[in-house]
Amino acid sequence: MHQLWEIASQPDNVPIVALLFLMPFYIWYAFRQAVQTDKLILQLETNPALAKTHHRKVFPWKAGWDREVHVWPYLMRIEFLVAIIVTVILMIWSITLNAPLEEPANPNLTMNPAKAPWYFLGLQEMLVYFDPWIAGVVMPTLIIGGLMVIPYIDANPLGNGYYTYRQRRFAIWTFLFGFIFLWVLMIVIGTFIRGPGWMWFWPSQTWDHNRLEFAVNRNLDQIFGIDGSWLAHVLPQSWRGGAAIWARTIFGIFPLGVYAVLAAFFVHWLCVRTEFSRKIYQRMSLVQIVTLQIFMVTMLSLPVKILLRLLFRIKYIWVTPWFSV
Amino acid sequence: MPETHSDDPVQSRSMSGALLISAFLLMLTVAWSLYDEFYGLRPWRSYQREFANVYAKYLRKKMPEQRDREKVIRSSAEYQQLKQIVDNAEEAAKPRLREIDRESAYLDKRLAAIQDTFTTARGKVTALIYEAELAPLDSASRKSRLEEVDKAKRETYALELPTADARVEKLKWNFTQIDSEFTTLKARKAALVAERGDVLKAAKDAREKRDAYFQEKMEGLTADQLGGLLRAAEGLDVSIHQVNVNPTNAGLNNFGSGGLVDRCQSCHMGTDSKFVPLAMTLTKKDLGLERSKDAPFTSHPEPELLKIHDPEKFGCSPCHGGNGRAIDSVEKGHGRYEHWLWPLHYAENYQAGCQTCHAADMVTEHAPVLNHGKELFRSRGCIGCHKFEGFDDQPERLLATRQQILQIEKQKKEYEIEIPRLNRQADQAPDNETAQKLNGQATNLAVRISGMDAKVEQLDRKSRSLLREDKKVGPDLKEVRMKIRKEWIPYWLGHTHEFRPTTKMPQFRLEPDQIQAIAAFIWQSGVAGPGLTKQQPGNAAHGKDLLQTRGCLACHSIGEGSNVLGGTFAANLSRVGEKDNYDYLVRWVHNPRERTRPYCPFEKRDLGPEDYAKHGLPFLFDLDHSKCPNDGHPLQVQQPTVMPNLRLSIEDARDVAGYLITLKHSDANYDAASFMDDPKLKGAGLKLVKFYGCAGCHEISGLEDESRIGTELTTEGSKPIERLDFARLTEDAQRGVLPDEKKAPRGSWYDQKGFFEQKLKNPAVYDKEKYRPNPLDRLKMPKPNVTDTDITALVTFLLGSVDQQLPREYYYKPADARRDIQEGWWIVTKYNCVGCHQVRIGQQSVLQTLPQYQGDNKIGLPPVLTSEGARVDPAWLQRFLANPALSTTDTNRNGVRSYLQVRMPTFSLSDEEIQKLVRFFAAASSQESPYVPPKLDTLTDAERTLARQLFTSPAAPCLKCHATGNPAHDKTATAPNFLLARNRLKPAWTNRWILDPARIAPGTAMPSGLFRREGERWIFNGPLPAVAKSFTGDYSDLLVRYMFQLTPEEQRMLLSRTPAAAGSK
Repeated sequence: MHQLWEIASQPDNVPIVALLFLMPFYIWYAFRQAVQTDKLILQLETNPALAKTHHRKVFPWKAGWDREVHVWPYLMRIEFLVAIIVTVILMIWSITLNAPLEEPANPNLTMNPAKAPWYFLGLQEMLVYFDPWIAGVVMPTLIIGGLMVIPYIDANPLGNGYYTYRQRRFAIWTFLFGFIFLWVLMIVIGTFIRGPGWMWFWPSQTWDHNRLEFAVNRNLDQIFGIDGSWLAHVLPQSWRGGAAIWARTIFGIFPLGVYAVLAAFFVHWLCVRTEFSRKIYQRMSLVQIVTLQIFMVTMLSLPVKILLRLLFRIKYIWVTPWFSV
Repeated sequence: MPETHSDDPVQSRSMSGALLISAFLLMLTVAWSLYDEFYGLRPWRSYQREFANVYAKYLRKKMPEQRDREKVIRSSAEYQQLKQIVDNAEEAAKPRLREIDRESAYLDKRLAAIQDTFTTARGKVTALIYEAELAPLDSASRKSRLEEVDKAKRETYALELPTADARVEKLKWNFTQIDSEFTTLKARKAALVAERGDVLKAAKDAREKRDAYFQEKMEGLTADQLGGLLRAAEGLDVSIHQVNVNPTNAGLNNFGSGGLVDRCQSCHMGTDSKFVPLAMTLTKKDLGLERSKDAPFTSHPEPELLKIHDPEKFGCSPCHGGNGRAIDSVEKGHGRYEHWLWPLHYAENYQAGCQTCHAADMVTEHAPVLNHGKELFRSRGCIGCHKFEGFDDQPERLLATRQQILQIEKQKKEYEIEIPRLNRQADQAPDNETAQKLNGQATNLAVRISGMDAKVEQLDRKSRSLLREDKKVGPDLKEVRMKIRKEWIPYWLGHTHEFRPTTKMPQFRLEPDQIQAIAAFIWQSGVAGPGLTKQQPGNAAHGKDLLQTRGCLACHSIGEGSNVLGGTFAANLSRVGEKDNYDYLVRWVHNPRERTRPYCPFEKRDLGPEDYAKHGLPFLFDLDHSKCPNDGHPLQVQQPTVMPNLRLSIEDARDVAGYLITLKHSDANYDAASFMDDPKLKGAGLKLVKFYGCAGCHEISGLEDESRIGTELTTEGSKPIERLDFARLTEDAQRGVLPDEKKAPRGSWYDQKGFFEQKLKNPAVYDKEKYRPNPLDRLKMPKPNVTDTDITALVTFLLGSVDQQLPREYYYKPADARRDIQEGWWIVTKYNCVGCHQVRIGQQSVLQTLPQYQGDNKIGLPPVLTSEGARVDPAWLQRFLANPALSTTDTNRNGVRSYLQVRMPTFSLSDEEIQKLVRFFAAASSQESPYVPPKLDTLTDAERTLARQLFTSPAAPCLKCHATGNPAHDKTATAPNFLLARNRLKPAWTNRWILDPARIAPGTAMPSGLFRREGERWIFNGPLPAVAKSFTGDYSDLLVRYMFQLTPEEQRMLLSRTPAAAGSK
């Protein structure tokens, strides 16, 4: 527990500790709002008098309310209030906690564990599961790209500008899974669980710099004993030296392909589970569907890889001379 | 406006309450941030205000006290007398002063009246001259312009000038007249100013005398000075006091320049001489803050140090550690937090700061703890395993020299092959030119070879020196078969500190089988002969007497428990009888440097008689016969011990050994050790001896070239904490739990200091909870025999041994005479000169503390060397150090003080060491080198007669005490022979000595007050003989000259005339 307190009390980790409490609170708060709105929508839909006026593109509203309100003063005053409160919090924070500066950097003695700033710890944790090219370049690019394409593949006309769960089930679960479960969880792991040598320390364990751990990670092809010996017979003479490499490269494509197909079916099944989502799915063009599938399949690969690594000690599935997955 | 509905929450809900509260909170936070900005982050502001407050109070209280003191002095008769002189002188100067002032006033008035007109006229003329100069020579325009100049000079100006009798004269003068008047007035004015100074000189001198007297009598600062300080305190400008410790030409930022910013005095105001001058001490009590834990206002406890290290240049943190830049909290400033690498040194270690810059000093003034640590590091053999820059590195240098010799010899051999080849080629050359060129090359090679011979010869000389200087901390284990009782060795290895509680040897953690293997290896690797001479038994009673009087106790101690008597530099001799062989002991006491076999570093073995016989040579080796018969390079012909040769006769040596052999416990009994001769154990033993680095302190067969096995410690103090392996104690250290499960008084000991302390207390401590089934995997550092004080000293030394962080010019690496002092101390401490002699003012030798040298027996002490450099001729000192007997035949005596029982031994110092010692003594007594003996005036006959009579007069019977070389007389002599003076002493020192010997050597038997001052000369203080009437010179000078021109015949003649000395004939 001493160790846990030591990590949590570091000025560096204030945001992440706050995150631990704020995140559940806001999820709960958003769901409460959503449930209320959903009730209202139901009410509007079941009331034949109002059902007519309840156009799909209009916000749910109650009788006696304005359908629209002005930005000034109704939005501005709220934003002003929030600005004041945030300023107060930031000032108190900066007065009470100084910048956590450390000793001058010593190139001959790097710190252990060497951790990225808290918001990048998810990426750093990803380096455990993928090679640096994938985890450091491809994945972040895909994440940014994925966030950018959301408006273009979103075929659901409902649920904009108000909290709702019923009209946005797929989006909400994707968000909860992708952001809260994957991204935030990895940050939490990176902060609280990873100790010296980036080893896994449970919260009650002391971060012992002398700790030794025995673990052998193998690539999938090693488990299957792919060494290119049979490929060598097929390849022309001058290529034979690289037989093992080629064999591994070719071998890796198969499990990855199988995964991609399975994952795509799973995503498809998710999309057509309810009548509501089926309707939306039908509204999507082929390009939209393919894009959605690419990003969803990639996103799902992360937890799959984490499980393979942590449970089966598999390092890479697809090993090529250029990158490994 | 949109229609408002009371039931729409967005529009109807009022937010004024929330807004009010958050606006209020915002204001509070702003106020808080302002407070934090001015006070919270700047605690030094409050410190400075508090200091100004309490200090002003203190000064106000102090001022009347000092004023009263001043009054007492001012009213004293002496002061009044001096004041009277001042007043008289001022009075005498008054009339003339008044005249001068009057005339000056007149001159000033007249000058002021003429000034404007003069500058106008001069401006006009000089401008015209400039114009004329522009025109070409001999031209018409030049001529006309020069005429204009003349015209301007002739032009007249109306002037109204005051005259001496206070009238105003109206004049019409031209430029020349005005100019001359102006110059005259100026000259007169200058003359008056000069005269004024002359007139006032007497008064000024008297006033200076008066003020000097006042300063002398005044204790502390005067009220006026205190007033000045009070004004400084009251008008204190609250601001940061910053010192930049930067190398010259450093950039403005400190990146990469090794600079340092120091702001300590922003809070520690009492160390700022602007407020508290160095002459003043300020304690918490003075300020009425004795109860306060947080009042950083006291003055520096050692102002002497601040005089040498001006805080404006050095700052504080370069010496004391801490973060000199941080001023936002005490903790940060003192660097006591995780991320500052150089925390403030704790009180017991503060001298670590000295080591930072004084690493090259063996002895640093004002730093006894550090000096003790360095001495321990060397004498306890830490240096045997741990390299440390600046400490004895003879083994390494010896090895390097040998490599160099081998390399040159290899090259030489190649050239020797090359020469005939070139000659052959020349013979077959197609033309004359080529042949000449090739022959020329061959000749050049031959010349080059001769140059190499010279180089090898020099290198051999150097290695001979190094072989002499190379000393081991422990005894030579090659001699073990000659010296030691066989069964004792395994016992000693297992019970080192029990057998001899004061030993320097650390206790190794050895398993029984390891002990057996090591003992067997040591025993079997010892040289077996030629055997020792069988010795007659000695007289133990006489031996004991010799041990106590010859000075053995300056280094050695005898007695056990609370009866220990003597020095700690060398071994305690109490149980020598249990382990040593008598015949060997006699040889050792007679000459400890004597070896059984010489060692050849090139062949890497000990030579025996057979090697000498091969070349038809007798088996004879000593410092004069140190050439290897096989390869001609120098041999190690001495045992590598610092113990010197006391030049005892063989009979005396037998007596001393006879006494030592009786020193044993009656119940001493050791188990038989048959395994010692088991050849199977030898291999295992060799491995262990190598593993534990025994050869660092002992000479062992086959391991002469072993290098040091430990970590180099030169910059150990700046090793990052992560590199110090606390192992399983890491967490305990961070939480302040000591290895014995007690709470550490200062909390966390997870720092360099904590690591070193625990390591020295118990080097095995970091093996705690480790699984180490193989003893060789354990930490191998043995447990040193040190007390807690020793540990503090060693830790201080290590903490100060850090990487260079300051600008280079801050390090103490003098190039002048101070370097000689620096170098000399390494040798003085190496041979423990301070055991017998007082070398530094304030230092006590071991002998001075012994009971047999108290009271009147002080006369038996060796000479005090504080003025040695001024006393003796360096050339003589060099001869003396090489041979303290000053004789090659009669050696069983002291060369200078033959009357002293205690013996100046022969150290067989290398030439370089002798040079360094001579330079050390010269530099320590501020003597310039080289020394050229001054030419003394020859005595006239009259002077000689007078000197003879003084020398033998009853008031100063010099030869009563001073030795003469006459054995009968010298029995009672207590001072050196005058015949030595001519070559040995410096006349100037001798003169000072006979005038007041007690001033140079307090407690000396030589009487003071032999002369009295009379006017400009020193007169003999006793009845003067008749011939003295015509002598007008200085008596002390006369006697010095007589002394330096004394001949043996003259001395014999004097001896027969000396009244008291004649009786002893």
